[in-house]
Amino acid sequence: MIAIIDYRAGNIGSIQGALANLGVANFVTADPAKILAADGVIFPGQGRAGSAMTALQSSGLAGIIPKITRPFLGICLGLQLLTQATEEDSTAGLGIFSGHCRKFPQLNKVPHMGWNAVNFNSTCPLFSGISDNSYFYFVHSYYCDQSAQSTVTATTNYGFPFIAALRAENFQAVQFHPEKSGKQGLRLLENFAALC
Amino acid sequence: MLILPAIDLIDGQCVRLYQGDYSKKSVYSSDPLAVAQSFAAAGCPGIHIVDLDAAKKGSPVNSALVIAIAQSVNVPVQIGGGIRDLATVARYLNNGVARVIIGTAACEDSEFVRQAIERFGAERIVISVDIKNGAISTRGWLQNSALSIDAMIDRLKAAAVRLVIVTDVSKDGTLSGANFSITSQFVAAGFQTITAGGVTNCADIIELKKCGAFGAIIGRGIYEGTITVADAVAAAANTSNLLKRIIPCLDVKAGRVVKGTHFTQLRDAGDAVELARLYSDCGADELIFLDITATEQRRAALQQLVRAVAGQINIPFTVGGGINSLQSIYELLDAGADKVSLGTIAVDRPEFVREASRQFGAQCIVISLDAKRHLDSWQLYTHGGKQSTTADAVAHARLMLEYGAGELLVNSLDRDGAKQGFDIELLQAVCNAVSIPVIASSGAGSAGDFLKVFSQTNVDAALGATIFHYNEVSIQAVKTLLTDNGIKVRC
Repeated sequence: MIAIIDYRAGNIGSIQGALANLGVANFVTADPAKILAADGVIFPGQGRAGSAMTALQSSGLAGIIPKITRPFLGICLGLQLLTQATEEDSTAGLGIFSGHCRKFPQLNKVPHMGWNAVNFNSTCPLFSGISDNSYFYFVHSYYCDQSAQSTVTATTNYGFPFIAALRAENFQAVQFHPEKSGKQGLRLLENFAALC
Repeated sequence: MLILPAIDLIDGQCVRLYQGDYSKKSVYSSDPLAVAQSFAAAGCPGIHIVDLDAAKKGSPVNSALVIAIAQSVNVPVQIGGGIRDLATVARYLNNGVARVIIGTAACEDSEFVRQAIERFGAERIVISVDIKNGAISTRGWLQNSALSIDAMIDRLKAAAVRLVIVTDVSKDGTLSGANFSITSQFVAAGFQTITAGGVTNCADIIELKKCGAFGAIIGRGIYEGTITVADAVAAAANTSNLLKRIIPCLDVKAGRVVKGTHFTQLRDAGDAVELARLYSDCGADELIFLDITATEQRRAALQQLVRAVAGQINIPFTVGGGINSLQSIYELLDAGADKVSLGTIAVDRPEFVREASRQFGAQCIVISLDAKRHLDSWQLYTHGGKQSTTADAVAHARLMLEYGAGELLVNSLDRDGAKQGFDIELLQAVCNAVSIPVIASSGAGSAGDFLKVFSQTNVDAALGATIFHYNEVSIQAVKTLLTDNGIKVRC
């Protein structure tokens, strides 16, 4: 069973729908014990960093997430909150990944919204069967500016290359929305479920 | 903008100094030739080399190595350090070096600079202006000359200098960001300005580009790994693979589609879920559901529809109609909507837009605005185009950006249902006024209308209703036409 973390800011309905389509058993919870006991954990993302982190702290999840040893997938804000900090609402992150999230400069339109190509620079099992430069759906105004090179598993160009995916041990995170990215997005979720 | 990775030489080795201090050097490689070749392989448009031994001594020390590098890489190489006479300039430029950099000598002998430019051309002579604490610094940065920046600019102009490198010595090797104001000062004075010192990441490259810099020299950032040559080159080129979006719009009433009933392959023509899946399979990039008759009582039906759609399709979709509280936004997002569209309420209570954006993030707040041409501008309408306001539609767009909108859906009452193409002027006026994505709506009658709106405006997406519902034109046909004309869409 995959636990989807509920912190009243994620687009939980979409993730559930996508997993249900794949026949992957899942449940939505904010209960630390259930999250720690799950085979895998998805940390969905949408919303504001400040209110999301406040919700994580008041529910005690902020302290639980770093202790998770099962496969973990952060999505969008779920990636940003795993870095050291984000400029959005000057929010401290959980520090699973090094690096900070910054607001996109006004070089192109912000938010970065729509389908953009993802360059996979690793042979991560998460991307198995997905060809390099496949298009995924993005919607975000902040991006992780840099992280330890060994953890960067994908990049995307939006005026300049930014981090599209990160991995450190059991923690993986993607800036795009696999649950909104058509067939290749479903494949990614399927790959994640296979790791759990 | 040129990205020029730097190679600083001492004793034939590739080194970096901290703030120009010879006692604070880090050795990065004993094989500068291999370093240069790796830079060229990464796609840089030039390489910047400084002979630090020569800068200190006043005459070339590592010139044989420099010439070997210039002759072995297929990108232009520029060299600085100890170049103080025409013979040295000639030796470099006649042996494969593209440009020479004159620093110290420019301060002490502007006649030499003038002669060099006259003989070799202004495009091959670069003057390096090293600045420390607001004044010109010379001779390997160890001495501070008395020349002010303004006096230096005058002197460079008098010598017909075109290319300058400005280095803020206090920034050099510190990875603390470039000096943008000095860059702007030299750009404003009319020089092709290459900035060095402190260039750390892509954001610096973008900022320098905005300042009008001609180039950026990156040293320590590359060696320490805060930026790669390839990323810097991509940032300078502003490459983006973001695609234009084609969005079918479905009008719903009490959870059922009221338009778009002419698909013969549908068992139940009003079934929003089946229609959504059909569009998704046909290549729609996103969907919009508008409940034009939404009321408080119908909220539950809309929510149910959203949940059903979210369970069946996995492309983004926006839901609009009758949203008047943070709770109703939460319910729709929770049910699986990605964005909500706000119309009349955003005109009546702009503060609500701010609250919604703060609570849920700008990325899920779409503002739908109805505009109608009035003389030279566009008047803002509400209530689905039934009520006029005294507000200007473009000014409203700008206001919505300030209040935290993430995207604009721009409807033209003049074009709605006319199938004579989008209102290009309105859309471009809105695009010019805001920095957020804009969805063109109203007027699509042919595939050519989509091509026109993407070719002539900066809109990010275009919406079709009747054109797709009645299967007059398929999404695929629109995308094929766009692709054939060089507009990138998802196939």
